[in-house]
Amino acid sequence: MNQHVQRVYAERKEHRGGIHTNLPLGEKYMETIANDFTINIATANGTGSQSANLILLQSIFDMGVPASGKNLFPSNISGLPTWYIVRLSDMGYQAPGDRTHIQVLVNPATWDDDLAALEPGSVVIWNENAKKEMNRDDVISYPIPMSALARKINPKIAKLVTNIIYVGAIAEVLGIDQKVLEASVAKQFKGKETAIELNITALGLGRDYFKDTFEKKDPYTIEARQRDTKQFFIDGNEAVALGSHFGGVQMLAWYPITPSSSIAEGIIAWTPKLRTDDEGSSNCSVIQAEDELAAAGMVLGAGWAGGRGMTATSGPGISLMQEFIGLGYFAEIPSVFWDVTRVGPSTGLPTRTQQSDIAMLYEGSHGDTQHIVLIPGTVEECFEFGWRIFDYAERYQTPVFGMSDLDLGMNRWACEGFEYPSEPMDRGKVVRDQKTFDAFEDFGRYLDVDGDGIPYRTLPGSGMAPILYRGTGHNTKGEYSEKPEDYLALMTRLKNKIEGARDNLPAPLLKEEKECEIGIVYLGSMENTIQEIDDILEETGLKVSQCRIRALPAHSEIEKFIERHENTIILEINRDGQLYGILRKELPNHLVSRVHSVAYSDGMPPRARIYAERILAKLEEVNQ
Amino acid sequence: MSEKPERPARAVKLNVINEPKDSYTGGKSSLCPGCGHDQISNVIISAAWESGIEPHRIAKMSGIGCSSKTPAYYLGKSHGFNTVHGRMPSVTTGAYAVNKDLLYIGVSGDGDSASIGIGQLIHAIRRNMDMVYIIENNGVYGLTKGQYSATADIGSKKKKGPINKTQPIDLCALAINLGCTFVARSFSGSKKQLNALIKAAMSHKGFALIDVISPCVTFNNNDESMKSYGYVKENEITLHMTDYIPHFNPITEVEVPEGHFRDITLHDGSTIRLETISEEHDPSNAVAALTALHNAEENAKHVTGLLYFDNTKASLAEDLGLVEKPLIDVADEELRPSKNILDEINSAFMG
Repeated sequence: MNQHVQRVYAERKEHRGGIHTNLPLGEKYMETIANDFTINIATANGTGSQSANLILLQSIFDMGVPASGKNLFPSNISGLPTWYIVRLSDMGYQAPGDRTHIQVLVNPATWDDDLAALEPGSVVIWNENAKKEMNRDDVISYPIPMSALARKINPKIAKLVTNIIYVGAIAEVLGIDQKVLEASVAKQFKGKETAIELNITALGLGRDYFKDTFEKKDPYTIEARQRDTKQFFIDGNEAVALGSHFGGVQMLAWYPITPSSSIAEGIIAWTPKLRTDDEGSSNCSVIQAEDELAAAGMVLGAGWAGGRGMTATSGPGISLMQEFIGLGYFAEIPSVFWDVTRVGPSTGLPTRTQQSDIAMLYEGSHGDTQHIVLIPGTVEECFEFGWRIFDYAERYQTPVFGMSDLDLGMNRWACEGFEYPSEPMDRGKVVRDQKTFDAFEDFGRYLDVDGDGIPYRTLPGSGMAPILYRGTGHNTKGEYSEKPEDYLALMTRLKNKIEGARDNLPAPLLKEEKECEIGIVYLGSMENTIQEIDDILEETGLKVSQCRIRALPAHSEIEKFIERHENTIILEINRDGQLYGILRKELPNHLVSRVHSVAYSDGMPPRARIYAERILAKLEEVNQ
Repeated sequence: MSEKPERPARAVKLNVINEPKDSYTGGKSSLCPGCGHDQISNVIISAAWESGIEPHRIAKMSGIGCSSKTPAYYLGKSHGFNTVHGRMPSVTTGAYAVNKDLLYIGVSGDGDSASIGIGQLIHAIRRNMDMVYIIENNGVYGLTKGQYSATADIGSKKKKGPINKTQPIDLCALAINLGCTFVARSFSGSKKQLNALIKAAMSHKGFALIDVISPCVTFNNNDESMKSYGYVKENEITLHMTDYIPHFNPITEVEVPEGHFRDITLHDGSTIRLETISEEHDPSNAVAALTALHNAEENAKHVTGLLYFDNTKASLAEDLGLVEKPLIDVADEELRPSKNILDEINSAFMG
């Protein structure tokens, strides 16, 4: 949770009156509901609704109201249904709420289902020209002739303009300041004067139509708050891209795959500004590979040659890269792999979010392996781990994974700004000059000189201690060997090496209650839902502590956290409890019976109530 | 390694950078005695030594298979990477992206290049990745004990098993169609020709593919095999006599032939001289090269020599638009943008 939200949370926790899940209905509402509701906008993919929705989100954000936007989009370029969910919450809750309070209906294809799902008393802002009917009389209905208004501006682009019309109408319903709205339009269409003008006109049409036609019958409103001027909105993938540049990435090899492509595209987009000299030559190479296998090979090649190589992919890509990952582990090649996870198995739900690659990353490839996995939970961490990951890869001479997910990677989140790397690059144990080399009594590429399992390496081209790197068994000199003692010594050292990384990796973030009743260990983008889950649980009288794991192998603090708590839930967005499986295997026996898995995924971004209810059910089961 | 060894008192022959041939040899081969691959390894050693390349500036790359084991048997002073099956091109590409100044010599086999790794081979060619790519082609999988590979000729029969009826993939024809900038075929038994071609490939900037027929003495050297020593010797059509004239020594070593010849200047200033035997072959003509391959195939022959050459295409390094020095030599402080730049970015985002 970022600092701003934390502050709001602390202020509000003192005198809050519960969470609005069932609002009073009807025309005569007794109270105004400010900054605590969810808007769901149903449109079709490829109609330009994304920019309209971002203008709305930016405006709410600029009014100082904590808000999150989630794009639920199909695997399609044009035509299939898409929803955009905006959650406003002074509490700082960022997950989509349990219900929709304001529904915008533009897409006829999902009209009936969207309408049927609404609770009585919900607000419906709908396109009167969509040739669909309003068949509910228990909702607050605001029909707007969106298409007709849009055609007035320009019939050729009426479809695009329709989206801005509903933003104008929403702005009027909720009381969004016109100036703020116009500033967001200018931000969205940077410098494109015609587009800015057209959109502002369209906003006005939507706004005026509502003002002239309706009397506001709903309780929802936006109250401006003190805006934290340091904050901005950014998605996790762009943060990773920037972080990679500040980590000095020298080679990016990638193959397009949702939801990771925007990491690579971000790196490409920032290369001219960040990595290019006056002559136009860059010190960061980018290669679009023929497939993920080749991308992984290129990453290993760059690491072998002494450079900082990386790729960004998603689960299916990691599946293809498995053989190389094993080679990287066994031949000890620094290499960086970002996995922005999506719903599997197989092609799965390619545009939906899940945390289901944890096991595959941690124990990737055939044979006994164990890999370092960094797991950011905020956009600030996406940036930080974006540069740190190279240091870990070179320090431990091994593949290191960054594990983000679609929700964190592709949705925009409030950011406090990025902090400059606090330490110089760690290039690991590389012998770069003859003098250093000569000081070694005995040199072997795989000789454990320092007792930490990490050997020294020389680089191709240096002329020092050349070896033929191999994926076959080898001795401390790197020579082919099938001797049992060589294999055993190598595998034991590799285990020690990664084991030694445990407490040097990002430590878990703890928020502990002194009662130490229930602990929740969670990871990644669940960060955006955990506080709401916690609050729901505490309403039942439970005292809940939080522990966000930020890397594998798990930091020793996690074991201590579990030790301190009566029961600990391992909470994750998947079916099988993959993190739970890993922790169970590594925890001492007396703790195993005190950790319990709550794993759930339906493809949607996590909604707090679903997880809270499952945690309660699990605790009931445990206490029986 | 920068200091050159002094001339020893004994009369050991040294190359142009005063290195003895021993500086280019490797470990003892564990391949079957008589294997064509060992002959190719020896030619690689000679070619590198004679060309006077500093051994540590070479990177030996390979995939998996009998052929891919051979980097252990040559150039012991060079770093190398015996990668995974069929995926040596991608590893080489990544290494090259961060250190374009090494000479990358890849060795692969017909299983490695024509089956599992054909996609990576194709894309490395397409990028005009700057490397020497030698295929040790014997028509069978050796390490797994003699299954046909995708280059086995129609009508050929290995020691055990049926006659091959499946259409082979001609990697030279494939490469020419893909616009590969240096395409040659040779035979492990033709040391002189192979030596000249490997040297020329090392002087070339771009992807240089040499498909070398290299008989498998254990599984595919029987008389009915079209990739046996006996068969290739009988049925080789040599396009031209090949001579390599190094840029550092242009006068000696090669006598000017009496008949027709064609000189091709390579990127480092060296020359490959192609002396016409019967009909003249123009290596800049892709159609002529493909015709030669098709005619040979139709008559169950093997055509060898420099089939195709094109020095007009940019290599991958140029396409990447990188700074002059290899990226691994760029200082950390240059790689990481400054704090001021990050402050600027933060401010711009805050709007």
